[in-house]
Amino acid sequence: MSGKRISATLVVNEDRAIACAACGHTLGPAGAPWKDHARLDEQPMQGAGGNPYTNAERVLLRRFFCPGCGALLDTESALADDPFLTDIVRV
Amino acid sequence: MDPITFSIIRHRLFRVIDEAVITLKHVSGSAITNEGHDLMVSLYRADGSLLMGGVGFLHHLTSAAEACKAVIRRFEGDIGEGDVFLTNCPYTAALHTSDIYLVAPIHHEGRLVAWSACFVHVYDIGAMVPGGFSPDSRDIFTEGFSSPGIKLVEGGEMRRDVMDTLLNMVRAPEMVALDLSSMIAANNVARERMGALIEKYGADAVDEACGALVDQSETLLRKRLRELPDGRWEARQYFDIEGETCRVLLAMTKEGDELTFDFTGSSPQSHYGINCTYWASWGGFFAPLFPLLCYDITWNDGVLRPIRMIAPEGSVVNCTRPAPVSLATVGTIQSVNNAACTCIAKMLSASEKYAEEATAVWHGSHFAIFMFGLNQRRQEAIGILTETFGGAGGARTWADGIDVGGEIPNPIGRMANVETTEATFPVRYLFRRARPDTGGPGRWRGGNALEFALVQHDSPEGGINYVVSGKGTEFSMSEGLGGGYAGAPCAYRWVHNNRASEAGRNVNPFPTSLDEMTGEAETISWGVFPLKGEDALYVRSDGGGGFGDPLEREPARVQADVEAGMVSAEVAAAVYGVVMANGTVDEGATAARRETLRAARLAAPVAAAAE
Amino acid sequence: MSERSGTRYVVATDVGGTCTDAVLFAAGEPVRLGKALSTPPDFADGVLAAVGTAADDIGLATDALLARTALFMHGSTVVDNTLFTRSGARTGLITTEGFEDTLVITRGAYGRWAGLTEDGIKHPVATDRAPPLVPRAKTRGVPERVDYKGAVLRALDEDAVRQAIRSLVEDEEIEALAVSFLWSFYNASHEQRVGDLIREVAPDVYVTLSSEIAPVPGEYERASTTVINAYAGRIASDYITSLQALLRGRGYGGPLLVMQGYGGLLPAEEAAERAVGMLECGPAAGVIGSRHLGRLMEDDDIIACDMGGTTFKVGVIQGGAIDYAREPMVDRYHYVAPKIEVVSIGAGGGSIVALDPATGVPGVGPASAGARPGPVCYGLGGAEPTLTDVMLLVGYMDPGTFLGGTIALDAEAARRVFVEKVAQPLGMSVEEAAIGIYRIAAAQITDLIHEITVERGLDPRDFVLHAFGGTCGLLCGVFGAELGVRRIVVPYTASVNAAFGLLSADIVHEYTVTKTLPMPSPAAEINEIYAPMVARARDQLAAEGFADDAIALDWSIDLRYGRQVHEVTTPVAGGGPMDDDAVGRLAADFEALYERKFGKGSAYRAAGMEMTMFRLTARGMVERPRIERAALDGSDPGAAQIGKRDIFVEAEGGFAPADIYDFERLSPGNVIAGPAVIHTPITTIVVQAGQSGRMDAYRNISIELG
Repeated sequence: MSGKRISATLVVNEDRAIACAACGHTLGPAGAPWKDHARLDEQPMQGAGGNPYTNAERVLLRRFFCPGCGALLDTESALADDPFLTDIVRV
Repeated sequence: MDPITFSIIRHRLFRVIDEAVITLKHVSGSAITNEGHDLMVSLYRADGSLLMGGVGFLHHLTSAAEACKAVIRRFEGDIGEGDVFLTNCPYTAALHTSDIYLVAPIHHEGRLVAWSACFVHVYDIGAMVPGGFSPDSRDIFTEGFSSPGIKLVEGGEMRRDVMDTLLNMVRAPEMVALDLSSMIAANNVARERMGALIEKYGADAVDEACGALVDQSETLLRKRLRELPDGRWEARQYFDIEGETCRVLLAMTKEGDELTFDFTGSSPQSHYGINCTYWASWGGFFAPLFPLLCYDITWNDGVLRPIRMIAPEGSVVNCTRPAPVSLATVGTIQSVNNAACTCIAKMLSASEKYAEEATAVWHGSHFAIFMFGLNQRRQEAIGILTETFGGAGGARTWADGIDVGGEIPNPIGRMANVETTEATFPVRYLFRRARPDTGGPGRWRGGNALEFALVQHDSPEGGINYVVSGKGTEFSMSEGLGGGYAGAPCAYRWVHNNRASEAGRNVNPFPTSLDEMTGEAETISWGVFPLKGEDALYVRSDGGGGFGDPLEREPARVQADVEAGMVSAEVAAAVYGVVMANGTVDEGATAARRETLRAARLAAPVAAAAE
Repeated sequence: MSERSGTRYVVATDVGGTCTDAVLFAAGEPVRLGKALSTPPDFADGVLAAVGTAADDIGLATDALLARTALFMHGSTVVDNTLFTRSGARTGLITTEGFEDTLVITRGAYGRWAGLTEDGIKHPVATDRAPPLVPRAKTRGVPERVDYKGAVLRALDEDAVRQAIRSLVEDEEIEALAVSFLWSFYNASHEQRVGDLIREVAPDVYVTLSSEIAPVPGEYERASTTVINAYAGRIASDYITSLQALLRGRGYGGPLLVMQGYGGLLPAEEAAERAVGMLECGPAAGVIGSRHLGRLMEDDDIIACDMGGTTFKVGVIQGGAIDYAREPMVDRYHYVAPKIEVVSIGAGGGSIVALDPATGVPGVGPASAGARPGPVCYGLGGAEPTLTDVMLLVGYMDPGTFLGGTIALDAEAARRVFVEKVAQPLGMSVEEAAIGIYRIAAAQITDLIHEITVERGLDPRDFVLHAFGGTCGLLCGVFGAELGVRRIVVPYTASVNAAFGLLSADIVHEYTVTKTLPMPSPAAEINEIYAPMVARARDQLAAEGFADDAIALDWSIDLRYGRQVHEVTTPVAGGGPMDDDAVGRLAADFEALYERKFGKGSAYRAAGMEMTMFRLTARGMVERPRIERAALDGSDPGAAQIGKRDIFVEAEGGFAPADIYDFERLSPGNVIAGPAVIHTPITTIVVQAGQSGRMDAYRNISIELG
């Protein structure tokens, strides 16, 4: 997908929108937080990557997906009440 | 300055540090210094600013600069040729009291021209707990001897009164004396070699080259920063101590050729000694910054110039005296490292040119087990288990993280052989291996972590004690990047075989996994514990962070991981969507499985609604 | 010819990565040199070719020479080559259950950074381990356990061993097996039993036991050594066996002696079982050769340098003694075997001169143009300026006389490329830039030599410098002067360093017992440890045909201070058996050695001393004819002067006229005053201003620094 890279998975396209680098689906305007536009799965970190993910019932694995193609755009580990991490890249 | 002379002087400065490091290792002769490379020697300019940092524990490069500057302020007019000063006050420069800095002025024809500084983690510092890591200390006063600056050597002569006073306050004074003499020897070598360099090229030429070297680093880093996009990146680290949850929040802003690390919002300082002083946090983010952004730039004050830090007073990243800090180096400083690694990596991956330099977090918790007691020869044995340097590599954007592959802030650590530890401490290992499924899943997998278990063996006292300073047992501290998962958290288990024995249950003396252990496994994470009788200690460190979408991982790589026992077939199917049949990838089933997983993703709610 | 029929020759051949060298001589005859390109993977062709060129010199056919040869000594890079090209056997590993990952996790980051330069270490994101020679899937843990005292805690599960062998052979199709258990150097019984079981279950599999190949503490390095030996074992043994057969077929009737990395020779049959022993045996032979040359010239303290096309290597001899490497590596794999310490940097004639793209600062190497395409001036397609091109630009090489005039050097091309890629970007004249690059190379070498002298408490001013290799003679006048060495010797055999070293080596067997004893301990206890080693050594050397008076047994013991990690191998003065006085002397010698090695003030007596390893070096002294001294002529070298030209003279800081000489026309006894250049058929020697070079009775050029 053409555009200016802003992360490993996202670009800013010709229309100054943030877009999925895989399918081009847009996630809001450039320079603004994009995560609200993504699909989000939150599950306990417990067991998330296999048996050794122990003792982590409280901790959530947040996975942000592209609504267009389902590509995994970013992850966070977080407590439920904590906000999303916001990354802003100006290109 | 002509480029040839400049090139030769620069190379010679490297050699000065290298020689001093070798001297330090030779004289010290201790395992933590020689095996763990838990040391640092660097050169500083006359004003105390960093001239050339050596490859050691990188947190110290900037803190030792502060040590030099503090000595310059405190001893102005009383800094003579052949003097050596000691500083280990965390509120002045040091990371914690056990990490002693010895800084020494270098004179030429009576004029102060440079400083050398080094550090080692000394054998003991007289804190509550032998070795210095004191989970039960609630203030700096119970963390042992602490000096904001004292002259240890005057005009080449050891100040016996000072030395004796210091040694009077520590356990195993002969070992501490050896640590100090190793640092004095290293400073001596640095001074002699700098002297020879100045003899050959002249003081002015060397000074000019040093100035040019610092300017060059600044120019190169600013140029690199300009090549990277402007932006603001966030990272968050949690850690859990005795029911307290601490946060380190970092927002890193890059504007033009400058970089700001803002820790606003981080938790108030803790009751426990995991806090960082201001200079510990400052060093904490430079430790990953040097190798991640300046891998081809000389590590010196020029790198510091474009960088700014905001650290709220009274927080875990800038605690107020007399808050305890003895576990800072395995506590908050690791979170500062990790958060900085994540923000820098996000910035790098926003650039076509530098994406390959990005990495998920390595060895996030930096678990540490500290042992003390009598060994099998009835000698006092105090020391860290060098598995703390085992580590686990974060995934790169082009390659997997390295299983048990070390860490970023100490680029050349290594762990001791099992046979070395069994000969030093009264313990026997039950197993030591890379633990499958601990590396964070991703298109590139995080490096797997270490797991091992110990029982006492031939102990004259029936056992030995250990300190666990566990954070990262609930939270994964090695965050993933670009969709990669964080690595698995740490685990510490006190396996009560003694109780099992007393209850008449058979205790398996040779279990090869936690599952095969007979006694009840109690989860522990903080404090001082005994390793006695038939009881066992099980430790699993945390895995490296992954990079990218696990569903994008080539099935052949998943198969290779399953074959090597690095990923289980269950995780291959559940997380990577790769279905194995008779040891090879079932391509049809894999495609179907991945399709199902993708469909589930598209059925997830939109994040705005979830928030 | 007929008067030669009774002559018995000694032949030494060394197979290096690029060239195979030969040296041969007989009583009353001068030393002859031969050289040919190495011919991997059938190295024997190159060996015969090199011997052939030397034989030509005396007008003998190769077969005729071999028929008159009494001793054939051989060193080879075959094992190094197997590792570098990853062409060894499919190898498996059997180890203690619970510790199956020891080899692949390489003590954590150690295997990731070891062997990297400073630049590599500072860039951890770009680093990785070398792929393991035995992947995890070809490793099997079996139930067994021995403790730190050598006591068996858990018996060996033989059924599990059988099953492991079968699964490795049947499922993984392995051809070689390494066996390495925890603490096996204290108690080898489990490993030996596994060895028996392998021979029973899978008799075709090549086996190496860690307790036989490396009976020393440290399970990672021991396993790694065992695996390397198993991996390259069959190739090494086939190589030696076939070379032996070939020589027999060509008329040679004597023993084939094979060089080891510790600087001694082993009979072919024994060497064939110890592939790992052959690693880096070429550079080791070079150091041995330097020691021998030093003895001839009555020098005991030598810095032995060798600079060829890609690397500069240096070893140190002090008081006639040689240092051993502590943590040797091949490629990026660790091994533990006694190996002569030789350190190197990537600086040779072919090293590429380039400016750092970010800083514009010039540097030399480690990238190399190698032999092909080689330096620009060779005209073989080299497009990057190299150190050899710089040598031409500073006037040291003569375009017309290079390699005896066989290759015409293209000075114009060298100049053009150097201007474009180096001088112009630096904003300097060609001469200035070339001098600068030359100085950088000399400074790098000075620093490396510093590393293995000054950093180990040795003062270079006490040493004589030996300059071997095709490129060393061009630089040694400058870096030798900066180091302040006593004298520089450019040996007659400079171009065939390793092969010359073989000539002077003895048969050496090394035995060790690992055991910790406090210092002091009763002498009787130490003698008891040695008794079985001594008996074994005597039997072995007797079987190899050595009479008692040709056998030397050297005892040495590793000591360390309590709670310290540095061990120092300390010779037992006067040899064994020891009495209690000798034990006291040993302690004193250790302390003196320790301070010398680790610096003044490093000795730490508070926690006592202990002995950790007992070593026996058993030497069978090989009888060989003496190298003849030539009669000395007058000091005037006038007859050998072939011209005068401007060259770079360090003392002048620029170019100045110098006398040019032809080595072949010099007579022993001639003295040349610098600045001067001596062209030999293979190399060039530069005598700087203020220095004087004298050809000695062995045709070495001995340079006094004035």
